[in-house]
Amino acid sequence: MLQQAFNGLVGGAFYALLALGLSVIFGMLGVVNFAHGAFYMLGAFTSYVLLDSYGVNFWAALVVVPVALGVVGIVLERLFIRRLTPLDPLYNFLFTFGLTLILQDLVKREYGVQSQPYPRPSALSGTLDLGLFTYPAYQVFVLGVSVLVCLLVWFVLVRTRVGMVVRAATERPELTRALGIDVGRWVTPVFGFGIALAGLAGVLAAPMRAVNPLMGADLIIVVFAVVVIGGLGSLFGSVAAGFTIGLVSALGNYYVPALSQTLVFILMAAVLLWRPAGLFGREEAL
Amino acid sequence: MILRLLAGSARGRLLLAIGLFLALALPWMIYPPIAMDIACWALFAVSVDLLLGFTGLLSFGHAAFWGSSAYVSGLLAVHVGLPFPVAVLGGALFAAVIAVPIGYLAVRLSGIYFAMVTLAFAQMIYFIANQWRDVTGGENGLQGIPREMFGVDLSDSFVFYYVGLPIVLLGLLLAWRIVRSPFGRVLVSIRDNPSRARALGYPVDRYRLLSFVLSAFLAGLAGGLFAISHGFASLQEVYWTTSGNAVMMVVLGGIGTLWGGVIGAALVVQLNDYLSTSEFDGIGIVTGSIFIVIVLVFRKGIWGTARDLLAPRLKRKRPGGAKSPGDDPAPAPAPDVNAPA
Amino acid sequence: MKRIGQAAAVAVTGAVLAACGGGPGGGGGKISDDKVVLAVLNDQSAIYADLSGKASIESVKMAVADYKAKYGDKAAAKEIEVVTADHQNKPDVANSKAQELYDRQRADIILDVPNSAAALAVANVAKSKKKVFMNIGAATTALEGASCNKYTFHYGYNTYMLAQGTGDAVTKDGGKNWYLVYPDYAFGQDMQKSFTSAITKAGGKIVKADPTPFPNDNFSTFLLKAPGLSPKPQVLGAMQAGGDLVNLVKQYNEYKLKDKGIDLAVGLMFITDIHSLGSDALAGTKFSEAWFWNANPENRAWADKFQAKTNKRPSFAHAANYSAATQYLEALQRGGTDNADEIVKNLEGQKVNDVFAKNGTIRAQDHLLLHDAYLAEVKPASEVKEPWDYEKILKTIPADQAFQPANPACKF
Repeated sequence: MLQQAFNGLVGGAFYALLALGLSVIFGMLGVVNFAHGAFYMLGAFTSYVLLDSYGVNFWAALVVVPVALGVVGIVLERLFIRRLTPLDPLYNFLFTFGLTLILQDLVKREYGVQSQPYPRPSALSGTLDLGLFTYPAYQVFVLGVSVLVCLLVWFVLVRTRVGMVVRAATERPELTRALGIDVGRWVTPVFGFGIALAGLAGVLAAPMRAVNPLMGADLIIVVFAVVVIGGLGSLFGSVAAGFTIGLVSALGNYYVPALSQTLVFILMAAVLLWRPAGLFGREEAL
Repeated sequence: MILRLLAGSARGRLLLAIGLFLALALPWMIYPPIAMDIACWALFAVSVDLLLGFTGLLSFGHAAFWGSSAYVSGLLAVHVGLPFPVAVLGGALFAAVIAVPIGYLAVRLSGIYFAMVTLAFAQMIYFIANQWRDVTGGENGLQGIPREMFGVDLSDSFVFYYVGLPIVLLGLLLAWRIVRSPFGRVLVSIRDNPSRARALGYPVDRYRLLSFVLSAFLAGLAGGLFAISHGFASLQEVYWTTSGNAVMMVVLGGIGTLWGGVIGAALVVQLNDYLSTSEFDGIGIVTGSIFIVIVLVFRKGIWGTARDLLAPRLKRKRPGGAKSPGDDPAPAPAPDVNAPA
Repeated sequence: MKRIGQAAAVAVTGAVLAACGGGPGGGGGKISDDKVVLAVLNDQSAIYADLSGKASIESVKMAVADYKAKYGDKAAAKEIEVVTADHQNKPDVANSKAQELYDRQRADIILDVPNSAAALAVANVAKSKKKVFMNIGAATTALEGASCNKYTFHYGYNTYMLAQGTGDAVTKDGGKNWYLVYPDYAFGQDMQKSFTSAITKAGGKIVKADPTPFPNDNFSTFLLKAPGLSPKPQVLGAMQAGGDLVNLVKQYNEYKLKDKGIDLAVGLMFITDIHSLGSDALAGTKFSEAWFWNANPENRAWADKFQAKTNKRPSFAHAANYSAATQYLEALQRGGTDNADEIVKNLEGQKVNDVFAKNGTIRAQDHLLLHDAYLAEVKPASEVKEPWDYEKILKTIPADQAFQPANPACKF
């Protein structure tokens, strides 16, 4: 039981990282990035290519890949997303949807649809004794990284000036602008950062999940549900909902396997009924 | 006579006549099963446009209605032996019924959240269809849907096109009537400024919900007919790429034009057909690029652009027509870059 | 206005009719349109693209070339064309394309068609058009069961064969207690049933069978549960396919279930899956195989020819496409006509012994190809001598045991 719960948290770690990136981008730019799943896939694939063709190991990939994808995100924002942000947010949604189709197909053409092998880093291949039960070291590591990153983001947001601007712009955009704070200069880096988070999740996924061009496509829909549950535009809500959904689906798998996939959507329906803005969202954000 | 009833202006009548003529001539010009696909997808796209273009809500989960009606129509035809138009109607009604709870929850969120929530619910329908194999056949699909009516065999695709076309035309007529009705005008005013509509005393959410259900009904008509025409319903019908395809048709043809959906459907179906036999296998690259190009530089779509070029007069008469969906002033935290505030 | 429209309609109609050149070419000559057209309809862009895909077209072309070389001037089919379409793993595309291939491209036979919904849809098209369809890529037994028809053949493998070989052989080897995990959709449910019957028949026991979500990327719930079951299972039977299988195996290794005495047996595994996991991750896993390219010199010789054309090693599906096309052409040669009813008559009961099918028979009652299947084991990386040489054939499952008895539900 405890083991199952732990297990759910590991699954939730991915949801949390992805939802956090999605929320940061959404808050700052008003863009729902459909391509978030595609960048998660690219993160995993880039690590595979780096290892396979250039011998760059997991630890290096953990740093290099998010940075590289962050740069891609920055370029993307500068070239395209920026032109569309003043318009109805639907256009950016459709743009990133189109981008998803292209990215998936490009990877598919290059590497085929079969999953690519990615070994676990040897330092993490054993199991850890967690007192109550033993657990694969790698999964503990994933959970640790995810929690650490979330805490780090929280620290930056709360304790630094940059963070205050971003947080203010995310949660009270009109007010922030009215106070004469130049939010514009932070838009591009924040978008890049959000993409980098997706890339990081991808790198972490490579050793434990199937690395193939379609790995992000279905995941992103669940992450959307997570974000809706957590609260639109609420960073804390996204992370909390991410871990919660991970937990709930693991326990759902265990107790009611038949319902396990629909569970997250049922949960979403319940939250919408009860609090349309999500657990931690603000009503005005609607 | 009918033409006069449907379109006020001479230009409108001309367009309608051309459209009808093309609809009737289609199976002579292209392969009849593809012609039927175009007709079904056209109605599907128009149903999405009804929401997107005239209510300002992007449904990214319309496959739920198209697909569930495909299954229900098929089941009615297989197990109850209903004549196919009745089966299709039954499927469409079922789609409308499941649209009520989904719509009830989804219209609480506008703008982009609406798209996310509809997408999520559609995925739930997909999982249910996949698991419930006793009814849906799981990934084998619901096979062997008869294509007949009162014992008359309609398996010839050419014949079936003309028997099925009236359903599509009636659906299009219904969409057109909705848009031109007082109800439709309220929808447009809600799209343009929900706060004002609310202040004027309109129950905005209820209007949105009704529009959603009507749209689901039309999508259901299209999906049911599609299933009968192919003789089966499969999981593909409820998958999210199907929703994406319909949205692409609308965006390509022109949001908020109705005609645009029809044109988009004709082009996309033929493009898909062409790509499946061509050497080039990057269907996602092509469709993805279409999305991107339209969104970046061609936002009015084909019909919107053509209308602006040909008839600036027409545009002035209907200010709501060609502009972007829901210029909703209060959606989500507005982007900062150069929002007018 | 209206009159102009009508005039245009007539003009268009006339032009199109002229272009089409009348209806289907009746039963005039022995070979319709003086040309035999073989169509490969499969998934060239989605999940089955690697297993079969474009390379299967090459297989069929190889069959055509071999046929021409064998019969030379005596060949009944003087002109043979191979056409293809990509169904993108979408059943409705498969359905429209199949009609178009038969009607417009004058295809005499459609081959392959993975994805069971697509396969069943195409079977219906074949039935209504009265043209031959030989399915290779789909695993569903419905093709030779309730949904069978006179013009449809199932050639290569099915869920029964997959379960029979693995379930029976592994149980007899001492893996008595099984924990089955199967994806909760039609294929998985079929596999679970077939495995259960094969295992119990061989004297084994199903400790528990759990449905898993599909698609799923987190199997830890089930893997954690396994060692705690009572009696403790000796074998974990995984019915997942493709990406889900890869996920499951990665996590199976992560939880070190093998060290805890729980072996892995897999319901459906293709050589492409072994390639993607790396053979070490799967070393020792047993599974049913329809054909392996490096099993004997004959297979290998064919695989070399195939590789020269496609730059890859063939999967069983590539070889089965070759074999099916060959059998079709042989039947055509025997009857001297491409008339579908004649071909069907000539295929029914036909003995097949070629590079793909050993001791094969095309069963007349349900049009299922019975042939020898194999129990295979994944080699550890240390024993893999060359790329794609991942499998070791442990034993042959004779044709009459590898496949199910004819289903009485199938009536032509």
